[in-house]
Amino acid sequence: MHRRSAFDLSVAALVLLFTGGPIFLALYGSIVPDRILLDPDVSILDVGPNLESYRYIFTGELPATYSEGRANRRMISDAARQVPGSLWNSIRIALAAMVLNIVLGAPAAFMFARYTFPAKRLSFMFLILSPLVPAVALLVPIYMTMQALGLVGSIWGIILVHTARTLPFTVLILSVFFRRLPAELFEAARLDRCNSFQSFLRIAVPLALPSIGATGLFAFMLSYSEYMFSLVLSGEAQSRTVSVVMAALARNTDVSWNLLNTGIFIAIIPTLIVVVVIWRFVVEGLLKGGVNG
Amino acid sequence: MWTLKRYPFVWLLPALLPVALVTLYPVGHALWTSLHSVMLLFPGEPFVGLENYTRVVTSNYFAVALRNSATFTALAAPAVVAIGVSLALFLRRRFFGRTMVRSIVLLPWVLPGAISAVLWTWVFHPSFGLLNWVLLEIGILDRSVSFLASPWLAFISVLVAHVWTQIPFAVVLTMASLAAIHPETMEAARLDSRSSWKRFRFVIFPEIKPMVVVLLIYNALMAFTSYDLVYAMTGGGPGTATTLLAFQIWRESFSMYDFGAGAAVAFIVVVISALLIIAITRALPSDLFGDR
Repeated sequence: MHRRSAFDLSVAALVLLFTGGPIFLALYGSIVPDRILLDPDVSILDVGPNLESYRYIFTGELPATYSEGRANRRMISDAARQVPGSLWNSIRIALAAMVLNIVLGAPAAFMFARYTFPAKRLSFMFLILSPLVPAVALLVPIYMTMQALGLVGSIWGIILVHTARTLPFTVLILSVFFRRLPAELFEAARLDRCNSFQSFLRIAVPLALPSIGATGLFAFMLSYSEYMFSLVLSGEAQSRTVSVVMAALARNTDVSWNLLNTGIFIAIIPTLIVVVVIWRFVVEGLLKGGVNG
Repeated sequence: MWTLKRYPFVWLLPALLPVALVTLYPVGHALWTSLHSVMLLFPGEPFVGLENYTRVVTSNYFAVALRNSATFTALAAPAVVAIGVSLALFLRRRFFGRTMVRSIVLLPWVLPGAISAVLWTWVFHPSFGLLNWVLLEIGILDRSVSFLASPWLAFISVLVAHVWTQIPFAVVLTMASLAAIHPETMEAARLDSRSSWKRFRFVIFPEIKPMVVVLLIYNALMAFTSYDLVYAMTGGGPGTATTLLAFQIWRESFSMYDFGAGAAVAFIVVVISALLIIAITRALPSDLFGDR
């Protein structure tokens, strides 16, 4: 038994290193000024952590190192101060896309999983084939469509495009989950004179709730990390998403590593909390209740 | 499976309408563009038939980009699914710190592509990179290597970064479908067979197979059509080592402003992706499309 738990722990350590490693780098870089970061002779143990870049992003107060005489003031960028606001945009957009994906996608997925009807194959093929066209090729016409609808420059246009681009995958995944529910339950419901809407809402949804949660999480993250449509549809600063702001910060080669890493770390934490909460309470919490029996 | 003759579209339209909105006209527009000469520098958009396609296919980058994309997809998609499924199986076991590991595994997910690219550029950096530092400390290397400057190391580096960004999707969906397996099925399997490989092969895998097929399709599509890591990490270089076909859509359209050629590459990608999906569903038959 001891050998096995040692094996488990070493695998766990490897997983932590691979998935978390680059992000711990960002944490390290965010609390160490560039001067020390790039100097092999000085380590963080000599100077202690430095939280001035965090203070700059939230309050706008310049770090002391940038006020010195020879300091390169260009290494600080206003874009970094947009991080908290853009984070709020991103979380609202991704949550809306997640809810819309489930509300719009689950009934369709249930239909595809449980019923046959005219044009079933056609409509399913339409859904499956629509994400094949690479997004880059659709950028211009989708922008024109959104402009015609008057949705450019607001978060609603971004929500609509993210939802529509993710829905095919949501429907596909949810229909896999719905098909795995035992058919006897639905036959029993039918004998009890449940109509299809009732058997969807009273049986399929509660039983598949953990799977629906996982699928919602998938939609949330696809929307959160999407860059291209967010960039062209956001317009002015107030509806920019975190992916757009962070890409601007990352491509600005003048910005100091320290500030960029601080931005990255601030962007990670609230999202990680949202993801872990959904994961813990919706997906795992319900699994423990044994609803899958 | 019951037949529903009346109003199936009341259930389907909420999903079909938004998808149609971002598909029908935009795809039609892109198809139209691919058949016309649409260049920013030359006004007027004359019909040119398949000229854009022949120009793209005979261009000097096409064969290389196609080969790179094919290699990239063939390595990335199975790697993501294999690592994702193994991780999901591993995370079901009880060990110290499991809760923390389960949350950390989701981390790559919460990063936009541009940020993942920055972090990995830092890992592979020739002078300040973490990987160089570790390999030097252990003594595997005697001087630092610039990972992103050598052709095949750059390809591997981009591949590792891509796999890293996609793993959480696979883990979450596999864990959800593992959890949906009936507990009695698992119990019976435990009694029947002591070999955990056999249990996986004959009991667990058939149960999660539809999800594995979905994940393979999704990841093949992602690997074949994504280009943001390449754009940010190597810009397609060194030389043409990391030039992917999907990256060429962007380059033709927004770097050369030849939208006709960009759209033509896009539809070549569409045809190949469709073939990929058909190949995957043929190779791993499952009742994905609800035919049974």
